[in-house]
Amino acid sequence: MTQTNRILVVDDEPDLEPLILQRMRRQIRSNEYEFVFAQNGVEALEKLNADPTIEMVLSDINMPKMDGLTLLQQLPGVDPNLRAVIISAYGDMDNIRTAMNRGAFDFVTKPIDFDDLKITISRTLEHLAEWREALSSRDQLVALQNELSIASQLQQSILPKNPPVTETYEVSANMEPARNVGGDFYDFFKLDEQVGLVVADVSDKGIPASMFMMSSRTALKGAAIGVRDPQMVLEEVNNQLHQDNPTFMFVTLIYALFNPNTGTLTYSIAGHDPPMLVSADGTVTELPRTKGVALGIAPDIVYTQETVTLAPGDTVVMFTDGVTEAMNADNEQFGLTRLAEIFDGNPADSALAANEAVFEHVRKFAGDAPQSDDITCLTLRRP
Amino acid sequence: MEFSHDRSGDTLVVNASGRVDGSNASDFLESLQGMFEPGDQKIILDLGGLEYISSAGLRVLLMAAQNLDKQNKSFSICSLTEAVGDVFRISGFDQIINVFPSVEDAKQG
Repeated sequence: MTQTNRILVVDDEPDLEPLILQRMRRQIRSNEYEFVFAQNGVEALEKLNADPTIEMVLSDINMPKMDGLTLLQQLPGVDPNLRAVIISAYGDMDNIRTAMNRGAFDFVTKPIDFDDLKITISRTLEHLAEWREALSSRDQLVALQNELSIASQLQQSILPKNPPVTETYEVSANMEPARNVGGDFYDFFKLDEQVGLVVADVSDKGIPASMFMMSSRTALKGAAIGVRDPQMVLEEVNNQLHQDNPTFMFVTLIYALFNPNTGTLTYSIAGHDPPMLVSADGTVTELPRTKGVALGIAPDIVYTQETVTLAPGDTVVMFTDGVTEAMNADNEQFGLTRLAEIFDGNPADSALAANEAVFEHVRKFAGDAPQSDDITCLTLRRP
Repeated sequence: MEFSHDRSGDTLVVNASGRVDGSNASDFLESLQGMFEPGDQKIILDLGGLEYISSAGLRVLLMAAQNLDKQNKSFSICSLTEAVGDVFRISGFDQIINVFPSVEDAKQG
């Protein structure tokens, strides 16, 4: 017992006080319990209001000024966490039932059996301790949910807005977060004449994933500014992320560099689905895979890259598995085939239209089924 | 997730079936590691009955693999279905964790 439990005893009969002090002397001496006394309901309320450390009330029923049953009704207004035990006459079931209906935790009968009273007091206090623990878990849960929603907002806020739409290239990007904060992100940034494009998915969900997402994004952008070859960028980012990664988080991504003047797209893939190419004539193909592993899990991985040249009207679609693994009510996955079918014979006339088509089809497919993962798609089109 | 295991000598073969995703990944790791005994030198995880594994599932497999590696024990997985095999290939995990076509191959490998 680390803390003295304070108990208020309410009775108009003067002989209860010395009796309790005598029979509970061991618990009082060891600072387990401390008793406070009042002679009626009115005095009890005064003492409770003056001393918020009182946790438990032991009250008689018949008293002048304010009886025990009325006092019971007043207790929640003083402190909803107070627990009351009623002392009633033996066999007085009417009053006992009324007391229980008014929120009494338990009752003891007169003449008081002190062994029974000790058990009743300790049971009440144990219940209170558990109750407080439950309350604190609930508070922690609420705090955690707040943190999760902050993490979710942070995740959204680092995503760049207003993707570039120019005469030589168009970009469109969107991330629809799952209810549990996930770790998807996209990015686009200008590097002189070229534009860097990223679609990424961090393993797992929750706050650790969102923190890992932040460091991945920063590491990638930092490396991309200093190094030109996507494969070299990924090698550098991989080693950086691996260095201090005790929880084995990892991120899969595509990093692509597009040159609007020549139409060339050079990309390197780290453990991610390859991009999809929708040609101007509506032919859909998967772009070649490159060699590499998800970033952050092992040092000194060698990555390779591929270069393709986009013809006017070609669109490249990069996505996370939130798209292909979106489930419908029958537990079927959206899949690569459905994704390709959106554009088969039906090339988009803008990057934005292509992007919106992906989300529209996924949403329609999933229907009311809950979204378990972030859904991210970035489209690049050469007009 | 359902598990069964079969031990012969210092080789432990664990069969895991069902789905591993963010909701049960840590239970998966706990159940898996709970089956290991100090004498096990070679641990083979037969994923023939596994329908789906998410990135959270891959992460716990990586944790198990690294833990065993630190103890100089061998860890491999085998009998991947097409869908699960794709996840390993695309993520590159087949280059980090030993993957075999069957339990027999894993025992010899």
